[in-house]
Amino acid sequence: MSLIKELDYGTPIRLSEDEVTLTIDGVGVSVPAGTSVMAAAMSMGTKIPKLCATDMLEPFGSCRMCLVEIEGRRGTPASCTTPAENGMIVRTQSDKLARLRKGVMELYISDHPLDCLTCSANGDCELQDMAGVVGLRDVRYGKEVANHFETDSPLALPVDTSNPYFQYDPAKCIVCNRCVRACEEVQGTFALTIEGRGFDSRVSAAGVSFLDSDCVSCGACVQACPTATLMEKTVVEHGQPEHSTVTTCAYCGVGCSFKAEMQGDKVVRMVPYKGGQANEGHSCVKGRFAWGYATHKDRITKPMIRETITDPWREVSWEEAINRAASEFKRIQNDYGREAVGAITS
Amino acid sequence: MKLVRAGFGNNNVDTCARVCHSPTGYGLSKTFGTSAGTQDFKSVAKTDVIMIIGANPTDGHPVFASRMKKRLRAGAKLIVIDPRRIDMVKSPHVAASHHLALRPGTNVAVLNAMAHVIVTEGLIDESFVRERCDLVDFEMWARAIAEERNSPEAMEPYTGVAAQDLREAARLYATGGAAAIYYGLGVTEHSQGSTTVMAMANLAMATGNIGRDGVGVNPLRGQNNVQGSCDMGSFPHEFSGYRHVSDDSTRQMFESLWNRPLSNEQGLRIPNMIDEAIGGGFKGLYVQGEDIAQSDPDTQHITAGLRAMECVVIQDIFLNETAKYAHVFLPGSSFLEKDGTFTNAERRISRVRKVMEPLSGKSEWQATIDLSNALGYPMSYSHPSEIMDEIARLTPTFAGVSYEKIEQLGSVQWPCNDKAPTGTPIMHVDRFVRGLGKFMMTEYVPTEEKTGARFPLILTTGRILSQYNVGAQTRRTENSVWHDEDVLEIHPFDAENRGVKTGDLVALQSRTGEISLRAEVSERMQPGVVYTTFHHAKTGANVITTDFSDWATNCPEYKVTAVQVRRTNQYSDWQERNAREDIELRRIAPRFATAAE
Ligand code: SF4
Ligand code: SF4
Ligand code: FES
Repeated sequence: MSLIKELDYGTPIRLSEDEVTLTIDGVGVSVPAGTSVMAAAMSMGTKIPKLCATDMLEPFGSCRMCLVEIEGRRGTPASCTTPAENGMIVRTQSDKLARLRKGVMELYISDHPLDCLTCSANGDCELQDMAGVVGLRDVRYGKEVANHFETDSPLALPVDTSNPYFQYDPAKCIVCNRCVRACEEVQGTFALTIEGRGFDSRVSAAGVSFLDSDCVSCGACVQACPTATLMEKTVVEHGQPEHSTVTTCAYCGVGCSFKAEMQGDKVVRMVPYKGGQANEGHSCVKGRFAWGYATHKDRITKPMIRETITDPWREVSWEEAINRAASEFKRIQNDYGREAVGAITS
Repeated sequence: MKLVRAGFGNNNVDTCARVCHSPTGYGLSKTFGTSAGTQDFKSVAKTDVIMIIGANPTDGHPVFASRMKKRLRAGAKLIVIDPRRIDMVKSPHVAASHHLALRPGTNVAVLNAMAHVIVTEGLIDESFVRERCDLVDFEMWARAIAEERNSPEAMEPYTGVAAQDLREAARLYATGGAAAIYYGLGVTEHSQGSTTVMAMANLAMATGNIGRDGVGVNPLRGQNNVQGSCDMGSFPHEFSGYRHVSDDSTRQMFESLWNRPLSNEQGLRIPNMIDEAIGGGFKGLYVQGEDIAQSDPDTQHITAGLRAMECVVIQDIFLNETAKYAHVFLPGSSFLEKDGTFTNAERRISRVRKVMEPLSGKSEWQATIDLSNALGYPMSYSHPSEIMDEIARLTPTFAGVSYEKIEQLGSVQWPCNDKAPTGTPIMHVDRFVRGLGKFMMTEYVPTEEKTGARFPLILTTGRILSQYNVGAQTRRTENSVWHDEDVLEIHPFDAENRGVKTGDLVALQSRTGEISLRAEVSERMQPGVVYTTFHHAKTGANVITTDFSDWATNCPEYKVTAVQVRRTNQYSDWQERNAREDIELRRIAPRFATAAE
């Protein structure tokens, strides 16, 4: 068993009868009209570096990691916000692009604590992946520059652990806006905003703690966050899961699909499954987080019987319990007739 | 259900859908010919007018609510018919064009009045009605509905909805483009639940809003597998696929495959079982994954019935309220320990996969088989997929369903058979399942539950986002930080009259009982109506609900109970006795003591 990793096309799948054909890195590809250059590249397996884009959300174009060169166009457009067009000739790799991307990455990392080894997202962090992809080896800006992560920095903010299921650690935020957009576009609650401007800006639950805010704990922001800034507390506590199984939420009639992400036989987190046709990658607080009852101490795991309801319960073997039930039902049918027993199922 | 029909040899099997959505089955099969919602969830992205009736999607069906809101932000219009100002009425970037804040129990009156406007203002989709519906029934219906007594003006005194607002809402539904109805327990849990469902079906047919993307009549079902249990024939009168037990050919098919003579007499519904038990004729009950002592109305009546039985067998993961009256407890499995399928509100069958071994050492289906064997009716399956195969063999609408197909496609929406090998996202496309759509008469009959001097307020019940139904699961998670007790929402006007402030303990009294809980003064309510949830057993909200029920299906009327509210400083007798019994009837013999509450 292994961990199911779903592809991220970077921008939402577009459905269109019309197709456009373009060339990416010398290879021709046809995609539905309206598809971004980024998603077109992904459809042929080419991952263009990205940070602010993810296919659950409309493109935003803020991180400048996904720059490409397009023949006949000036500059280096962002591939997430550029729709594919007929006849386009796109290059995703060049010396110039590599230099630009590395520069962007260096700026991000200069304001990020370099504690990857002990970070809860270690191994599942898009920032870490991108630093690797662009070959970042050192950072020219030192700690004397303003930052958000040194505890004595005037900009440092405390970790918000008010929500019972996830935490918000502002020191790790890259202000990609994915969480804010997920709250708006996917969930529709509009609980998050970016507060402050420029370098000072940070995500905020409208100025109060997550618990006191309008947040409904659907988990969409946690899902969208490319770093460890918004992170499930169970992952912080237990570490990254190592295998997963797709299953269906046991709560309401929506019937959302989830990946149960596990360590051994222990659930570490439930992550909504994008392939689930009922929920298409979204979730609510119940299915996403409220599964702890499954191993609650009140669980009764042994069969029990008793003569009268005022007697204490007695733990017995499965066989004894089942035989008792069957013989009682048979006796009752004998004494009172066939119709004297029945069942209620869920 | 096989255990009962073949093992017990009777049809005394019922499901919790009785307390939620049985009127859906009745109402939609009379009019359209199937018992389930018409659309897939995706369809809402093509809707121009969304009409929500008696449902609170942001709390009850959150993920679908997000889909609705997305469509509404993109410009679709919204009509909400609900006594409370639910979140959908106004939330960031979403506002209802019309909120018809009706008096609880008057759904039929409001829908009839809307139909009246559509008929008398010439908004009928005539070509749809002519091609797709039974014209004789239509004429009869249209004539009756056009009578002045059904007009918004005539209904206003009953419904409390301003006639002008209702007229505009009706026009919007009829002429605003593709219009879809989504409804919930606020429709079905009424004495006229089935009538309301038929009234919605009539509206959809009259305006041609059926059989394509973006339209339809859709129940938002309460529980995950409600649709599934109904489909599988967990009803006293039906085999899987909604076929009546007295239908000889169906019964013979089951008899030959199961090798047992089966009863052709309709079995007992849950309320009948309880009544019979109190009368002394019903003595043994097997309850699987349900907590009727908390979830069903008039708790004291239910527990009296349970106490009168000689053998109550419970299969559950916790010692729930019903287990206090049980003699045999079989430990169940949580969904993480199960293999099987769930069918959701859009008829979609998805796989549930086991991610850990059953903590009890035995899966639930295995326990059921063991019980059947011990009863002398041997069943042998080696995997739940074989049960699915048998269902497919016995049920035409499921003929094409198998685990293999679900694996391949991710999920399947029934009907799935030769005619629709990959399932059916949208129903009634070219013709109704029953052939011609049938308009049904939907006369408004006020509920017998009336307010008066002693009980001047109307109580309605519902649920909130962070808790789920009887709360057995969510109460045992951190979700309780959002909802640690059930409170009574009351309008400032009614509160002031009674000297009640937010946080006060109040006594809530009805004809059947009394409980105490904390009050929350809230503008969401209309004067004369109070509201509470039923997530916490110790509150006992169902102690005060009555057992009036839907005339066609016995679905209980949770949504309307006449009550009085007054300040108090103590918990009610029932609550104190229940608290004592919580301890007394849940003891586990010390030598095996575990951590039961
Ligand atoms: S919290 Fe995460 S998703 Fe939100 S802006 Fe910061 S890094 Fe991006
Ligand atoms: S995740 Fe929430 S919306 Fe989805 S099925 Fe579970 S309870 Fe329902
Ligand atoms: S991924 Fe395109 S600009 Fe961020």
